[in-house]
Amino acid sequence: MSLFMRNYKPNSLATVYNVKLWRLNSTTADSVMKKDDNEEEEFRVLDILKKKDRMQRRVVRRADIQPDRADRMALDQKWGNVWPGPKTFHPSSVPLPLRQGYVSKGQAPPGKKANAELMKIPNFLHLTPPVIKSQCEALKQFCTEWPSLLNSEEAIEKHYPVEIITSDYCHASPSIRNPLARVVTLRFKLSTLKLDKHSRDKFIRLVGERYDKETDLVTITADRCPVRVQNLDYVNYLLTACYHEAWNVEEWEKEKTEEDMEYYEWNNNASKKSLVNWFMRTKNEFKELSEDEYRSFDVSVIPNAEGYKDAVSSLMNDGESDETVRKYGDSVRKLLGLPEKKVV
Amino acid sequence: MSNHIRHLNKCILRYPSYTLPRISVVLQTREYSRPTSFPDFFQNPIFRKEDQAKLIESSELSKIAALPVKPPAVYETSSVYHDPLVNKVINHVMEKGNKQLARNLVEKAFENIKRSQIERYHLATTPEAKAKIELDPKKILHKAIANSKPLLQLQPIKRGGITYQVPGPITEKRSLFLAIKWLLEATYEKERTVHFPKQFAWELLDAANNTGKVVKKKQDLHRQCEANRAYAHYRWQ
Amino acid sequence: MLSRSWRHLARRYSQATTFRTNENSPAQHSEKQEGLFYTMKPELCKQLFSHGGFPKSFMQQTKTFTETAVMVRQPALDLISCIKASDLNQPAIRYVLYGEKGSGKSLTLAHVLHYAHEDGYLIVHVPWVSEWLRRVPRHKEMSNSQTNEGFVDLPLDAAAWLIHFKSQNQTLLKSENLKVSKEYVWSKREKTEAGSPLHTLVEHGINRVKYACDVVDVLIDEIKMLSSSKQCKTFVAIDGFNSFFYPLTRLSTPTKKTVKPDEVTLTTSFLKLTHNDWTNGVIVVTADQLAVPDDHQESFLPRYLLYKKGFDHLDPFVPIEVGRYNEKEFQSCVGYYRDRLWLRGPPEVETELKFTSACNPYRFMEQCAPL
Repeated sequence: MSLFMRNYKPNSLATVYNVKLWRLNSTTADSVMKKDDNEEEEFRVLDILKKKDRMQRRVVRRADIQPDRADRMALDQKWGNVWPGPKTFHPSSVPLPLRQGYVSKGQAPPGKKANAELMKIPNFLHLTPPVIKSQCEALKQFCTEWPSLLNSEEAIEKHYPVEIITSDYCHASPSIRNPLARVVTLRFKLSTLKLDKHSRDKFIRLVGERYDKETDLVTITADRCPVRVQNLDYVNYLLTACYHEAWNVEEWEKEKTEEDMEYYEWNNNASKKSLVNWFMRTKNEFKELSEDEYRSFDVSVIPNAEGYKDAVSSLMNDGESDETVRKYGDSVRKLLGLPEKKVV
Repeated sequence: MSNHIRHLNKCILRYPSYTLPRISVVLQTREYSRPTSFPDFFQNPIFRKEDQAKLIESSELSKIAALPVKPPAVYETSSVYHDPLVNKVINHVMEKGNKQLARNLVEKAFENIKRSQIERYHLATTPEAKAKIELDPKKILHKAIANSKPLLQLQPIKRGGITYQVPGPITEKRSLFLAIKWLLEATYEKERTVHFPKQFAWELLDAANNTGKVVKKKQDLHRQCEANRAYAHYRWQ
Repeated sequence: MLSRSWRHLARRYSQATTFRTNENSPAQHSEKQEGLFYTMKPELCKQLFSHGGFPKSFMQQTKTFTETAVMVRQPALDLISCIKASDLNQPAIRYVLYGEKGSGKSLTLAHVLHYAHEDGYLIVHVPWVSEWLRRVPRHKEMSNSQTNEGFVDLPLDAAAWLIHFKSQNQTLLKSENLKVSKEYVWSKREKTEAGSPLHTLVEHGINRVKYACDVVDVLIDEIKMLSSSKQCKTFVAIDGFNSFFYPLTRLSTPTKKTVKPDEVTLTTSFLKLTHNDWTNGVIVVTADQLAVPDDHQESFLPRYLLYKKGFDHLDPFVPIEVGRYNEKEFQSCVGYYRDRLWLRGPPEVETELKFTSACNPYRFMEQCAPL
């Protein structure tokens, strides 16, 4: 205000000043709009303090930095020479536009330079296919030939029925030993073991849930010893022990009753007995048979008995369903000589 | 959205016929007793096929087709034997939300009614007598409730330090409520050995014949109203 | 309007003609009558089923409908044709009726029982086994058996069954060729002479309730012998047979020990009867989910319900499934219910009920009730 007062003199020059002053008070938008007018009617301003000279720009002198090594790599270079062994990620050695790291939504992950994420994770840049190939080539002279007879999966399975499964771990913790590496799994098909009916049954009972009925595979896993070799020995021991134990017949095993059987054997069951009894009654022979006689009775003498036998076995073994009951009914009707059920 | 509502209101005002079915089907629309999570522009569901057909016929459907609708309750079905009054009675019988039991009880009562009526039908000798017997238990229920609905009610009004029982008109809703309540009260006054369905069936049959406890109660109320006629002016003075 | 009422009339008429059959003799029933209702005479019903045999709900229906009408269904026809085709000189063949709850096993049994009665069989019918083993009313009487050590008698139940047996076989018991084979001494003063007619034995069991269980046991032996010697042919029908094989009964001795079914004398007697060591007989039993407690009702198939023990006991048996209504049966049932005023309302009700009841006969009847 004081400025305004001071300058408020009735002379021609002062009017110009006056205009300028008012403009200062107006909004910036206005001043921008009026800028062109200002330039047109620019006044030369006396620069007494020579401020402009002082405000000289400092010229930034750039040091002579070599371009990134990654950019200078030849296209046909041997990658194995660039990255010969396992090492932490280095951005200048890898000519790939890698990005890694968590960002909030909508942003690109950070690039490879000074990227801790990339350096943290283990990389396998030393194991590219051509490198592996060349290394294999180099190792070949130490290898023996693959047996020609083991040319198929079946042949391998036949000659080497026991399969040992272990896992090796590669990771970047202070210790290179992973505790899981000690676990040893032994796997084989039960049919490859030489077992009879009793010993097979006993073997299955001994291994318990380690036996898979569908695939016929026995899987024994050991992880209780600290070192892999010990576990391997233990697994082999278990297999051997189970096998020999399966062949042992204890005194009390004779007491096994029909309820303890894992599948329904028609010949040993009451069903056969009642069928034989029924058959003898139809022939008007009344005699008591012993258990063994019942068991060894040849049912092929009885007409339609085979179908009946199958039906009862499937009813008991496959579980009861509409289908098995229907089959059972049909076979009984055939056996007893009754008319067949009408299908509606 | 407020536009929509205004538009709807306009519709209702312009077409009074549109509001008519709403009032008559008051039992069939779902009434949400508590504030629901649905905003108020959500429409009540129209779950009966007849109502839907009516809407289509009166070409009202296009007006509400784009509006969101509240979900119907489980008992609001388009089943052939859906009856809103029966549903109401079931809800009155229900205790602690045990609708399954309440429904079974009411349906058992219907079965009892049906059995006794069918037997009576077979015992009747002439075709005229047979034609007179109502066999549909639901119709009997409707009739029983219609017969036990009071037309007047007594309101206690205090004037000059004395409480007068003042007769007055009764709303449709309250009358229905009283009818069902009386029927159930009469049913609950039973022998311990008689089961609810049996007693309820008897009460319904009695009320449908314009006899029995409930009808007597209604008539007593009417008589009382008649006797207290002189107090009627207290309603507005 | 006219055409509509005409159509309605036509529909009524067609229903009236298609849901009933006048063939009231089950021996004459064939595929032609399948799905149709036939009427049992009231006096016959009284004779055969006055002491049980029809389910309770069905008894109620007969009262409401003022008649006893049973649908001729495929399982019963199948069973009757099997009985007709079988050789009675061979050991008795066992038939097991099974099916879902409410599918009509008991009524099929009743139908076949009617056939057997007409065909002149001696009827040994147990209306509901659970009545003995699982139902414990306040007056249930139990006593330790005098003759068999460690067994339990149900004298009142046995006497009631003897009355049932007597009323079912009134005519046959009067005939002279049914005689007791040997002398039975009950006590110092009471004995049944060899050669006395069978009904004296039955009368004795009814009059001296104390011996009723022993009489039942003896009676069953006698019946087996008589049948095998061609004096009579016997039809055994046991409803809820699987109750005999459920591990426990609901009975308990005064010392609070739960009784097993095979410790009841009646069980041993009737298991003897269902063994196939006799000829000239037919054995029909039902395996019913309702005969055992809820914890053993997961499946309705016979092997599950009978347990291994029961299966081995009956094996080889002919399983006969009693299923839900098929389309034809359902329509005929609808016609019948409409005729008996049990089902009312528009025809759309039928389609809805068909869905909601899933064509299960009992559920259909139940769902019609409040309509």
